[in-house]
Amino acid sequence: MLDIKSLSASIDGKKILDGFDLKIKPGEVHAIMGPNGSGKSTLANVLTGKNGYEIEGQVFYEGKDLLNLPIEERAQKGLFMAFQYPLEIAGVNTNNFLKTSLNTIRKVRGLKELDSLEFLKLVKTKTKNLKIDEKILNRQLNVGFSGGEKKKNEILQMTILEPKLAILDETDSGLDIDALRIVSDGVNALRSKERSFLIITHYQRLLDYIKPDFVHVLVNGKIAKTGCGELAEELEKVGYERMGTDKQTAI
Amino acid sequence: MILNFDNFQKANQSGSKLNNIRIKNLNIFKEKGFPTKKEENWKYTDLNRIISNNLSKLEILNDKKTSQYNNEWILKNFQHNQIILVNGDFVSSNFSFETKEKITIKPLKKILNEEKDFEKIRNYFDEQENSLNALNHALVNDGIFLEIEDDYSFKKPLIIYNFFNKFSENKIINNKSIILLGKNSKLSVLEWYRAESDIKYFNNTIHNCSIQKNAILKKYIMDSNLDNSYNYHFTNVKSYSNSIFENFLFSAGSSFIKNEIRCDLVETFSSCFINALIFLKNQQHHELKTNVNHKQENCKSSQLVKSALLDKSNGTYQGKIYVDKKAQKTNGYQLSKALVLSENSAFNSKPELEIYADDVKCSHGSTTGNIDQNSVFYLMSRGLSKEQANRMLVEGFLNEAIETITEPNIKSLISKLFIDKINKTKFEINEY
Repeated sequence: MLDIKSLSASIDGKKILDGFDLKIKPGEVHAIMGPNGSGKSTLANVLTGKNGYEIEGQVFYEGKDLLNLPIEERAQKGLFMAFQYPLEIAGVNTNNFLKTSLNTIRKVRGLKELDSLEFLKLVKTKTKNLKIDEKILNRQLNVGFSGGEKKKNEILQMTILEPKLAILDETDSGLDIDALRIVSDGVNALRSKERSFLIITHYQRLLDYIKPDFVHVLVNGKIAKTGCGELAEELEKVGYERMGTDKQTAI
Repeated sequence: MILNFDNFQKANQSGSKLNNIRIKNLNIFKEKGFPTKKEENWKYTDLNRIISNNLSKLEILNDKKTSQYNNEWILKNFQHNQIILVNGDFVSSNFSFETKEKITIKPLKKILNEEKDFEKIRNYFDEQENSLNALNHALVNDGIFLEIEDDYSFKKPLIIYNFFNKFSENKIINNKSIILLGKNSKLSVLEWYRAESDIKYFNNTIHNCSIQKNAILKKYIMDSNLDNSYNYHFTNVKSYSNSIFENFLFSAGSSFIKNEIRCDLVETFSSCFINALIFLKNQQHHELKTNVNHKQENCKSSQLVKSALLDKSNGTYQGKIYVDKKAQKTNGYQLSKALVLSENSAFNSKPELEIYADDVKCSHGSTTGNIDQNSVFYLMSRGLSKEQANRMLVEGFLNEAIETITEPNIKSLISKLFIDKINKTKFEINEY
């Protein structure tokens, strides 16, 4: 599904990712944990295609060179990022935005575009399943949304767009227990043999709800340690600092 | 001076009151000429230069009248009363939804020709804000006179169609519209401009509105289809006690337009709303100049102007709020937000507050910027192309102005036209 080979990314001459390697197979859930400034969000941004980074290395997505694809084509080919800070977009109706987005992607995939009624039916089911108040659909995109509503909206978008690879960039930050459950239920409901997840988080808490297959610790722009679910618990106890300095344990 | 007035002078030597006014105003115009950027109100719009660069063959409209227009331009599936003007002349009216005896509608020409009637509208020839007003007083041929009785509310909106056909080519068209609302009356009017393609003319119109106690006038201006016209509209509103004036301007069609709107809140508890959407491309040059004059206590005014500029277009908003020393408890507000979408487009904003009372609430704001690239990234990460993302962001940005329209049918009509227009626009926006 995704094969990242010695990926480096710098911004304004400052190296943030430094020889990052990662392989994700279909159906796998990978968690990336790491301290502030270790390069977690940069990784998500580079994979999604955000401008402004000097990039070295290679990324293959379904066997194809990802880094040369325009942003929208990555999304159309099934890559999705749930933003750490979803943008507030004044004047753009959430429902219209979702419909445009879904239909653009469906069109590229050779599926029939949904008309307003079909879309409404779909979106109503999805909001109900996720226990999200459907009133947000008639509001301007993320404008005046609470932190929790914004994150739930990201999960709703993910659920509707049905990506092949979903990257969640600190989606758990700032969530209360109920919202955390909605987010993790959303992810768990989408888990399948074909779909992979890359979950970026600071805390082990989210991983109590979403059981990852692998946990990676990102320190100074590269993976310092990889393990299974227990690694997250261990991290919670000992902190990131020891992981980073104790290079011997790196796999 | 480009214009030739010889024939005009010959035709106006009868010595009647109107002719004397015409000659007097013609001399004022001859002395001043078209406004230049040396005048403070025209500093962003040098009309004299615009005219000599683009309309060097400008002539006074001759007597050859024509009333032909394209019947398909009349809105279908939208119940409305109508007045049709062709090249500024009154052609027909239809008020089939209304009680006829409550309404007086006349071609202005009729009133100009009757000395007794003319006396009633004579004071509308006093305005001397600029030389174009004088030119209008001198050359006005026709237009609209509409009076609504006390306590009468229009059942359906009125659409004033302003059509221009090929006989207006290179002509300067001067007309006046006079709309008088009696106490407790109510009217929604949509002014609709449409010209045969590529006809080039100059339209100089003075709109006079009087809104008596408790009356409501909602005025919507659709300038969406004109391509190569040059226009100056001076709107002069007198608002009496507890009345409401709501004005929405869709400014997107003409090559050049300056809309100057003055609203005098002359009695207490009257309110004035001026909202505008300015959406320009190519080399269009549009200006909105407002003067809201709070002359008595407890009046309210609000202005919201949203602009987006592509290519080499130029937009200007000069918004003024004046608060007389008697006008305590004034609530005045204005906000201008502009997206300058190309390196070669420009937006000028000049907010002015002139306040002589000490117990007032007045605020203004003005922002000019480009599309937020993080927002573009967000939308593109959901599969939208860059052009789709830009279009969606501009549409959302401008839509805020349309949201101010309080008349639901007109709002959905304008909204539909806006979306059509924006869908036809190319948004190849580069970061700069």
